[in-house]
Amino acid sequence: MSDVAHRSRQFALPHWATLPVILGGFIVGAWIVIGFTVPFWAPYDPTMLAGMRFLPPGAEHWLGTDALGRDVFTRTLYGVRHSLPIAAAVIVCAVVIGCTLGAIAGFVGGLVDEAIMRLVDVTLSFPPILLAMAVTAALGPGLGNAAIAMVIVWWPIYARLMRAQVLAVREREHVEAAIASGARPSRVLFKHILPLCWSPIIVNATMDFGQVILLAASLSFIGLGAVPPTPEWGQMISDGALHFYRWWIAAGPGLAILTIVLGFNFLGDGLRDLLDPRSK
Amino acid sequence: MKPHLPGLLGGVSAAALAFSAALVAPAAAQDQPLVIARNLEINSLDPHRAFCDTCQIYLSSTYQGLVKLGPDEKSVVPSLATEWTANDDQTQFTFTLAADAVFSDGSPVEAKDVKWTFERLKNIQGDPSFMMAGISSIETPDEKTVVVNMENPNSEFMGILAAPYVGIINSDVAAENGASAGADAATADQAETWFLANSAGSGPYVLDTYRPDDELRFVRNENYWQDAAPIGEIVIDQVADAVSQAQMLQSGQADIAMQVDPDTASTINSPDITIETVPSYNFIYVMFSPGAEGNQVPLDLEVRQALAYAIDYQGIIDFTVGGEGEMQASPIPNGFPGTEGLPMPEENLDKARELLAAKGLEDGFAIDVTVASMNVYGVDLALLMQKIQQDFARINVTINIQPVASAVWREQIANPGIPFSARFYAPDYYGSAQYVQFFGMIPDSWWERNASGQGKVDLVNQKEVDLLQQALASSGEDMEKAYHEIALEMINDRIIVPVVSPNLVLAYRSEIDGVRYSACCNLPLAEISRK
Repeated sequence: MSDVAHRSRQFALPHWATLPVILGGFIVGAWIVIGFTVPFWAPYDPTMLAGMRFLPPGAEHWLGTDALGRDVFTRTLYGVRHSLPIAAAVIVCAVVIGCTLGAIAGFVGGLVDEAIMRLVDVTLSFPPILLAMAVTAALGPGLGNAAIAMVIVWWPIYARLMRAQVLAVREREHVEAAIASGARPSRVLFKHILPLCWSPIIVNATMDFGQVILLAASLSFIGLGAVPPTPEWGQMISDGALHFYRWWIAAGPGLAILTIVLGFNFLGDGLRDLLDPRSK
Repeated sequence: MKPHLPGLLGGVSAAALAFSAALVAPAAAQDQPLVIARNLEINSLDPHRAFCDTCQIYLSSTYQGLVKLGPDEKSVVPSLATEWTANDDQTQFTFTLAADAVFSDGSPVEAKDVKWTFERLKNIQGDPSFMMAGISSIETPDEKTVVVNMENPNSEFMGILAAPYVGIINSDVAAENGASAGADAATADQAETWFLANSAGSGPYVLDTYRPDDELRFVRNENYWQDAAPIGEIVIDQVADAVSQAQMLQSGQADIAMQVDPDTASTINSPDITIETVPSYNFIYVMFSPGAEGNQVPLDLEVRQALAYAIDYQGIIDFTVGGEGEMQASPIPNGFPGTEGLPMPEENLDKARELLAAKGLEDGFAIDVTVASMNVYGVDLALLMQKIQQDFARINVTINIQPVASAVWREQIANPGIPFSARFYAPDYYGSAQYVQFFGMIPDSWWERNASGQGKVDLVNQKEVDLLQQALASSGEDMEKAYHEIALEMINDRIIVPVVSPNLVLAYRSEIDGVRYSACCNLPLAEISRK
């Protein structure tokens, strides 16, 4: 065997590290870095006048300026500081609430299972955007309220997923053995069942990041999410729609949403390949 | 080569169609419904409860007043009344009705209808009821004569009668359907729903259908007693934003677009479309409500003055309407009696900071702002507020903007009140009293009620009350002088601060004729025709 062949096998990427995954990781990583550092290097203030209004993209303003003369590029970069934290908060809350209820339903069974799963069915029977709109309309516009609305939309997905996992795992022999040897129910759940249930949750959560960002932008677009002058992507696209012929106002946030959602989807695919043995 | 028979037949029939169309063009063109793209935003179609810009178009097309605004936009000319007289001190007005005037059902317009209409408008306590304030009695000596007696002199009464809300209603038909003109009309009248589906006036059009947030459809009044309207059917289509309106106009789906802003208009470049930009009496204002529950800092006069000094008025005109607008000194629009020589609003950050420092507010404070998310006269109110947000940031004042639907805004402004907001106004007739009665700090005016939190804070300016009486009792220069002084008082109140009087963009397809802006009625539909 030649030395070159030997070396290439040595540095071969793992099977899940495909180009989309690397790309996804890079995009998401870049947005996270931008989110943390943008106040230190952004060319302009995102809410204050930066130049003439409606300037088309150029050297001074890479993505032009909007109706109030604010730099669209700066606002687009700042947008991630609203979208990512809200997506993270929504996913974490939905996972915690959904998984807790799903695990209880799957493990306890009986009436508790019935009650939780019917609640899940009712919640899932509403179109997500409609339910989110109703909740936000009741609570009032604002990103915080939009986040609460989205948690209400998202938790049932995790409850159902976790319940299915718990039901499958509790039938396994090691769980039966643990129960037979007299382990307490809580020990059985936390030590023998839950550790085997997380893979699909993590994959789903990663994929859902993009979807939450999309829903948050949709709510802002229809005036139920971020309030002016927050540089939130949905809000910016809504401004762009008002000035339809100045395409650049909506182009920046549109591209931002496209890249970040794509990034999370690619990353989610890779994680699934890594964590799900059947997809190998 | 064999001729292609279906193609040939098609060609022949198309040519025949084109020929026949050319023969009947003028008549057929007028029969084709005229489509107007507009954000309807209608609060009611009951003439005495309605109070909106589309209501002006609707009411002035389906009802007729005793008089109407002349082509000069200032004088009044006969409509249902052929002649009128007023006594010397302007407390008694006598009208003679046109002998041949009939309602859309063919029944004659009589003095009892005028009496009933005026009494209902006064007693129903709707938004336009202030127009009938001060009427003591109405006499009907015969079927065609009406005598209106006023408690106090009212030199502006004839102007008021040209307002669309004062159109004469067929009292028999309305009363049959639940309308009431009695002293208890505010509670006894049950006709509002009926008016959503029916009109009962003598105007050139009648209401065909109204579907909220969809369309308002008129058809020609076949019993109209004057020259019939040229267009047989007119539809006002609900189109919320300026861009969609412009697109409908360009694609031929709409014949007239009413709320295209100057920015969007500048992107329309088609020989089929005519764009006219004309000065208007419409204006956008911001206002302070010291009585609103949400105030974090008392909005007393000095604070209001400071905030008014912090507004970049020219910047607002540039940023909201692309420079296509004028500054306005007081809540009485430029060109109305008493407005000549008024001091224009001034941006002065030093004075603003000084006033705030005197109040111990140099470090700033926050104000909650609720604003209707809508575009009026080409101005997006939320965008306007963002501009003011930038302006106020210069004196450390933060405003938290909450955009809401217009109907929600209407509810909130009355209770719990909105500390700071933006709104718009279009005149109902040519005369300054309407502005004093609506914006002035006189007892029970719309803004005195709402800005004071329904009386929680005393905002009444007695000088305005006295001057209004003086203005209504005088005419000519004396009247102008009184309104001038009232305007100065209203500026000093700093409750209502006009920020821009936007030019109006009239955008319509070039084959449409007769599109014009009217000070009382927005768009007089009966004057529109196809060339």
